[in-house]
Amino acid sequence: MGVVVKKVELSWLDRTYVWPVMKGMSITFGHFIRQLLTPTSKRFTIQYPEMKKDMPEGYRGLHELKRFEDGAIKCVACFMCQEACPARCISIEAEEFSDLNITQGFEEKRPAKFDIDMLRCIYCGMCEEACPKDAIWLRKDYEVAAYDRLSMQYGKWDLMNTYAEADGKERISQDPTPSVLRRTIAL
Amino acid sequence: MGWASPRVALPGNPPMDMLASLLHLTPATFWMVSKVVIVFFGVFLLASVWTWVERRGSAMIQDRIGPNRALLFGKWPLLGLSQLAADGIKFFFKEDLVPADANKGLFWLAPFLAFVPALIGFAVIPFGRSFESGGQMYHLSVLDPGNGMGLLYPMAIGGMAVYGVLVAAWSSNNKWSILGGMRASAAMVSYEIGMTLAVVSIFMTTGGYDPSEVIAAQGHLPWAWNIVHQPLGFIVFFTCMFAETNRLPFDFAEGESEIVAGFNTEYGSMKFSLLALAEYSHLMTASALVATLYFGGWQVPFIVNPPVLLSVGCFLAKMLFFAWVFVWIRWTLPRFRYDQLMHLGWKVMLPLSMANLVFHAWRLSQGH
Repeated sequence: MGVVVKKVELSWLDRTYVWPVMKGMSITFGHFIRQLLTPTSKRFTIQYPEMKKDMPEGYRGLHELKRFEDGAIKCVACFMCQEACPARCISIEAEEFSDLNITQGFEEKRPAKFDIDMLRCIYCGMCEEACPKDAIWLRKDYEVAAYDRLSMQYGKWDLMNTYAEADGKERISQDPTPSVLRRTIAL
Repeated sequence: MGWASPRVALPGNPPMDMLASLLHLTPATFWMVSKVVIVFFGVFLLASVWTWVERRGSAMIQDRIGPNRALLFGKWPLLGLSQLAADGIKFFFKEDLVPADANKGLFWLAPFLAFVPALIGFAVIPFGRSFESGGQMYHLSVLDPGNGMGLLYPMAIGGMAVYGVLVAAWSSNNKWSILGGMRASAAMVSYEIGMTLAVVSIFMTTGGYDPSEVIAAQGHLPWAWNIVHQPLGFIVFFTCMFAETNRLPFDFAEGESEIVAGFNTEYGSMKFSLLALAEYSHLMTASALVATLYFGGWQVPFIVNPPVLLSVGCFLAKMLFFAWVFVWIRWTLPRFRYDQLMHLGWKVMLPLSMANLVFHAWRLSQGH
């Protein structure tokens, strides 16, 4: 199916070419003046290191492992995210821990290791959806870059501290409760 | 010893003569040398500053920001002017590559062939009112008026500019280059005719071709300037100047969307920089010509005998305005197709300038 292109009849003024050129020049000059008088903060260009783009709702950036107020990790090492991950970038090792105050002496599960290979991650957010405890989620930050491959292997503490500064939280590098030595549970 | 020299006895401008005698030069030679230095370095400086104007101006026109990251001494961005220094340093230290199959002699010569005519075309243009000091006339142009060449000189030198482009294109031994060079030289040659005919009608109405005569004939009243008398000639001349200086919309020498970079595809480092500077010097000379021919040169509107510095400032303002218009138009209009360019040159510009010439000849014959 063809499209009928309407030929625009040019007036004699338009056919002189000089007048349309002047109209075009007035447009570009308008842009010039407007851009010149706009303060830097209101221009379209985001001057990156100083200014950062406010990412839209639902943007999937770097992961964070959430924690309780006492610093205990929310993750219960259920492996749901690891199973859900289409890129297979999450690898978890579970451990048990026990505390009289928090777990009333019962033994509970938490990750001893929680590694995400950021080079493999496709930021699909499936881990966030799979998580029954809302312990992992993807935040809006997008500055995931490093000079070597090893720096892109995020461990448990890296992921728990991802937004420590931005949220005004303390950086932690230790679980508040000690882990129980690994043993076989006889049923 | 300079004080005792008989040369000082000549009546002249005391501080100038003092400087001249300190340098063991006659005042005339000193004046000449200082004019050459001021004009050529001034044009050179303006040309390099205009690369900044081009980049920042185009950025503003396109709602961008342009270069603002380079820092002078790690501190001052100076609105992006530091980029000039950064670019200069970069160009000097880049590897100076000459293609293996290039004609090496011509390849080296071409940037100078492009640069020198662009610069020396400025020589006859008066950039301020002539003044008398100590019984001696001082003319603010490198070549004094009455040199017999007048405005024919920049026209002839402008014709020379083709060689720079063509030699650069041919010596690179590159298909893109030769395409760009051939197109540009064809365009420049065909537009030169229309341009020259437009200028000839100014010579006719002025009754002389010396720039000082052209300026004096226009007077200080803006409605007596040639732009009012010959608007058609101005349009033709200004359009042809775009083809002359190889600037968009007639950017056929370079044509980066079609033929990589045209005549300077193979050029790098300082040779490329020199070609770019040649373009901007050419632009400066062209805008000075437009200001002289159509906008009264150094004449200050409504002031009969302006102070010398005011006249220089007025000339600079006019010249820089037209240099800005060159930039402005470049970022407004897209490039013409080559056949459209030739069509415009031969079938529109040439007849228009001929009509302009005939019309003014008729007017002269009617006694106007």
